[in-house]
Amino acid sequence: MVSAIPLPLRIAAWVFVAFCALLLIGPLIVVVGVSLSESRFIAFPPDGLSLRWYAQVLSSDAYLAAGWLSLQLAVLVTVSATILGGAAAIAIHRRRLPASEAMATYFLSPLVLPTIIYALGMLMLWSAFVGPVSLLTLWIAHSVIAVPYVVRTTLAVLADSDPFLEEAAATMGAGRVQRLWLVLLPQCLPGLAAGAFFAFNLSFDEAVVSLFLRRPGLTTLPVHIYNQLEFSPDPAVAAVSTIMIGLTVFLILVIDRLVGVQKVASN
Amino acid sequence: MADLSLQDIRKSFGAVEVLRGISLEIPAGSFVSLLGASGCGKTTLLRIVAGLESVSTGKVMIGGRDVTSLPPEQRDIAMMFQSYALLPHLNVAENVRFPLRMRRIGNPSEQRERVMEALETVQLAHLADRRPRQLSGGQQQRVALARAIVSRPTALLLDEPLSNLDARLREDMQVELIEMHKRLGLTTLFVTHDQEEALSLSDQIVLLNAGTIEQQGAPADIYSAPTSAFASSFLGSSNLIPAIAADGKLQLEDGQSLPLPAGDYPSGPVTVALRQEDASLLPDGAEVPSGWVSLNGRVGTRVYLGARNRYIVHLGEERLRVLTNAGIQLEAGTSARLALDPSRLRVLPRDKS
Repeated sequence: MVSAIPLPLRIAAWVFVAFCALLLIGPLIVVVGVSLSESRFIAFPPDGLSLRWYAQVLSSDAYLAAGWLSLQLAVLVTVSATILGGAAAIAIHRRRLPASEAMATYFLSPLVLPTIIYALGMLMLWSAFVGPVSLLTLWIAHSVIAVPYVVRTTLAVLADSDPFLEEAAATMGAGRVQRLWLVLLPQCLPGLAAGAFFAFNLSFDEAVVSLFLRRPGLTTLPVHIYNQLEFSPDPAVAAVSTIMIGLTVFLILVIDRLVGVQKVASN
Repeated sequence: MADLSLQDIRKSFGAVEVLRGISLEIPAGSFVSLLGASGCGKTTLLRIVAGLESVSTGKVMIGGRDVTSLPPEQRDIAMMFQSYALLPHLNVAENVRFPLRMRRIGNPSEQRERVMEALETVQLAHLADRRPRQLSGGQQQRVALARAIVSRPTALLLDEPLSNLDARLREDMQVELIEMHKRLGLTTLFVTHDQEEALSLSDQIVLLNAGTIEQQGAPADIYSAPTSAFASSFLGSSNLIPAIAADGKLQLEDGQSLPLPAGDYPSGPVTVALRQEDASLLPDGAEVPSGWVSLNGRVGTRVYLGARNRYIVHLGEERLRVLTNAGIQLEAGTSARLALDPSRLRVLPRDKS
């Protein structure tokens, strides 16, 4: 029983929790509120209620083009980061690579490296050796940033799994390929799903790298939002942000249906 | 004909030789235990039979086929792991069906039939749809057993499968393993460090010590006629008393002596093995049963075991363990006579250690 927590401490804990919740949810409420405003100025609480900014976003070629690019990019990054990160995690977990420990650290380094430095470096490298930036450049750059998340989440589930499962499968007649498909991958699945979710979100709202690697016709949604805010702020920005929030919530629900958020979160 | 034949198996990990030339013939349908303390190489030997470990030199034959260089999936075996190794993403029936699917045994409807049959054997047919994590340890263990027998392998390999169960469940499972072996007649190789398990389950016990076979035989033979001090102390936890055999007598180190039992014995330094249940403690003045001999000792610690007491008896420098029935109550520090039947003594060559 943990009934002996003193009352003042309990009150302090509740205040702290409420404060954190406010900081997390407050900005989202403001964004959603602003997006419903009738006025053409960004103001909270909103003046009147309307969906006109949603209509405007959905009929704006610039927004739609940026959104389509971001979606394509996020899907590409999700696929590549999940495959690369999953494969790397399996190799690191089995310690088959020379210097697995060093590899693990190396694969996690994009997590600590300042994105802005990486973005600048990537721009200079690409311009010097390849040419003008393209979707491919963004794809590669976002994948590099996303891979560590997949490695981490997959390593976490593998560390939890029974190390004898594959050997057991071999004694039951499963060959190398069958062990990979029927034993190893199903074990990795919760980690891969969580990693894929992170990779998608990371790419979809990544702004720093995308800002450095932009050119006319290669503007992602976050970069377009940033441009709009800078040059012609209106509640349409809030509307598109609300759509992005909705997309994230939708993805969480899908993941929950497929593998269970509890499982993903606990890793 | 031997179903499983090991020929001069040697295995080294780096500079450490863990198996030093093991040869073993296991007849079809027998239940053989590999018994030994941890680190004796018994699990390594089992893993070599399974193909999970390669040999340094030697040959493994399963069902008359040389499988030494084949991977596990190409050997006609099934193995049960200490951790059970159930596939967590498959339900019970799918787990049991896995070996049939992998080895392409039967069509789907035959497979389902065999799965249910195997699950009925372990009395778990009603849990076929559960996931492994929803089962208790004992139930998981039965699923693992069902999965091991479902393909009717030429060799069934069990790696300490009972060691994670509590005492009561372990006894139940021992009975079930015996009955299942009787019914199915699968050639079984069973690894354990538990002498009671080995004695109660096997047709043959192979006692391993430091990578070699110390002794091999039927449980009753190996228990009643250990050929070495190691075998004697490992099976039945005998007291090992150093002595000098000379002139028809066994001279103990504290000055007392015992008559040399009938038989052919080495002379010189020997080890006398005396099981803890083969001696009894007599209070001062009590009479020694006829044909028995007695030694004078001092009573030490008493360990209460419920139905019995275990006394530590000091004989000079030696500490002997003696089981008595619970009625015998002796004070620590008092002197007592240790009565024993000389025909139950075993005189063994002194270990060269």
